[in-house]
Amino acid sequence: MIVWRRSCAKSGPLKTFIVGLALAWAALPIVPVRAEPTASAPGAVVYFHAPLDGARVPQRFTVKIGLKEMGVAPAGVTKEFTGHHHLLIDADMVPLDQPIPSDYNHIHLGNGQTETVLTLPPGTHTLQLLLGDHQHIAHQPPVMSKKITIYVR
Amino acid sequence: MYRFTRACLIVLAMTTLDARIEAGAQQLAPAKTPSAPNAKVFFVDLKDGATIPSKLKIRFGIENMEIAPAGIVKPNTGHHHLLIDTELPPLDQPIPSDFNHVHFGGGQTEVEITLPAGEHTLQLLLGDQAHIPHRPPVFSEVIHVRVDPATVEKTRTPAPAGASVFFVEPADGATVARKVTVKFGLSGMELVPAGTNKPNSGHHHLLIDAPLPALDREIPSDLNHVHFGRAQTETEITLTPGDHTLQLLLGDHEHLPHDPPIFSKVIHVRVADTVPEKAPQASAADGRRPSPPDAAVYFIYPSNGERIYPNSTIRFGLRNMGVAPAGVAKPNTGHHHLMIDVETPPLDRPLPSDLNHIHFGNGQTEKKITLSPGEHTLQLILADDHHIPHDPPVISERIKVTVKAVRTARKRSRR
Repeated sequence: MIVWRRSCAKSGPLKTFIVGLALAWAALPIVPVRAEPTASAPGAVVYFHAPLDGARVPQRFTVKIGLKEMGVAPAGVTKEFTGHHHLLIDADMVPLDQPIPSDYNHIHLGNGQTETVLTLPPGTHTLQLLLGDHQHIAHQPPVMSKKITIYVR
Repeated sequence: MYRFTRACLIVLAMTTLDARIEAGAQQLAPAKTPSAPNAKVFFVDLKDGATIPSKLKIRFGIENMEIAPAGIVKPNTGHHHLLIDTELPPLDQPIPSDFNHVHFGGGQTEVEITLPAGEHTLQLLLGDQAHIPHRPPVFSEVIHVRVDPATVEKTRTPAPAGASVFFVEPADGATVARKVTVKFGLSGMELVPAGTNKPNSGHHHLLIDAPLPALDREIPSDLNHVHFGRAQTETEITLTPGDHTLQLLLGDHEHLPHDPPIFSKVIHVRVADTVPEKAPQASAADGRRPSPPDAAVYFIYPSNGERIYPNSTIRFGLRNMGVAPAGVAKPNTGHHHLMIDVETPPLDRPLPSDLNHIHFGNGQTEKKITLSPGEHTLQLILADDHHIPHDPPVISERIKVTVKAVRTARKRSRR
């Protein structure tokens, strides 16, 4: 965006106008191509079967994920009302219009897994689920669970 | 120097000349130092009942009096003493000096202490120039703290500067087969088997798809944390298709990372997303896709023998495989099929699709179904993109549920 503004500033008002027009025109087809938000199903809910909020768990434990009103599909599969799970560990909610980061705090279950085994150090941790579409971007409206707190003993 | 000697004399008098304690005290510490009215000492930012890390900086506050180093004779001054896990000492004698009675004779108002895991009590007591509490004594309330065991550091083996662990192969970003040979090395230290306590030595741990574990405790030992306790520098691992991360972490004789920790950078490998070599042998005969070992499908709800409502949401669990909608051919995935009141169908052909064999081709992992009151059986079968069960089949036990009569359900829901 900054680049655009700079070029606009250099090239005067007419060009700015043309560029603006071009942008406005381009924006229509660009939006669906690039950041097309995938629609979630009405009433879709993602939630934890296990562990439950406030649970005390051993260092190695299984996270089981439930999904209501939608289906699970591996990453890359474009199918209406499907997505794959992302598990946010000790992380705040991510920007919902960008691909979900992939690191130790953002676990992608890209093969369509509905459960995974975690090993966490003892102490208090938070877990949250966020469904992502084939491009790892959250649906619109986003399908996310409540952030739960667990105690690893 | 003189004052120091005098303080020593007091201590001597206290400890050796029992009989003369009173006289000595009167002579050497005549008339206890008065404290200011409303004088107060307290812990800053530390509350009773707090859970604290093992290593903690605590700060002391004082009101209506001032801090002066030990030995300084000035009205309305004193210095802090921190009482750890102990009661107030006798208030007419110098405060003992030991692990439980920490003196801050330099006039310090903060300290970093290390406490073992568990419950502890902390209390502050002001002492005068001769470490004797004032009259009236100035002490804080006793606060109880709990040290989080997770924060207790073990003594870690030191590592020499410049030591490093590294991957020989695969290279970062490499595309590899499912079975991949990982070779690694160590420089600047000696490689010894686990249990060998020798300076500047350690053994490798391979972290697969796992972040660095806590560095102040034993490295976990599981599928994601592989120990090479016999000082191996090479291993063959089997990875599922997809992206994986690998990292090396050196551990000492007790599998504890060194200080500073010796670990490699995280490398990324991709396992080719093709049907694994296993596929031909399994699928050649009847076109069935292989399932990974330990794959299992099961009911999260209901469980065997449970009484359920006529309208119940059946929830499916799947272990060691992923869910993919029908038509998506991806290794180690499948979609759920719910068998209601039927025997297990033949597993070498597509599962039937009717009211008794419900397909979840959209990748659903739960479904609300309506059942008539009475006994029913439920069974889950995972099947591939063509609705054919895997080889070996991933199939749940056939569970029995009893559906309650509608009336009972209504009565209950009204309550």
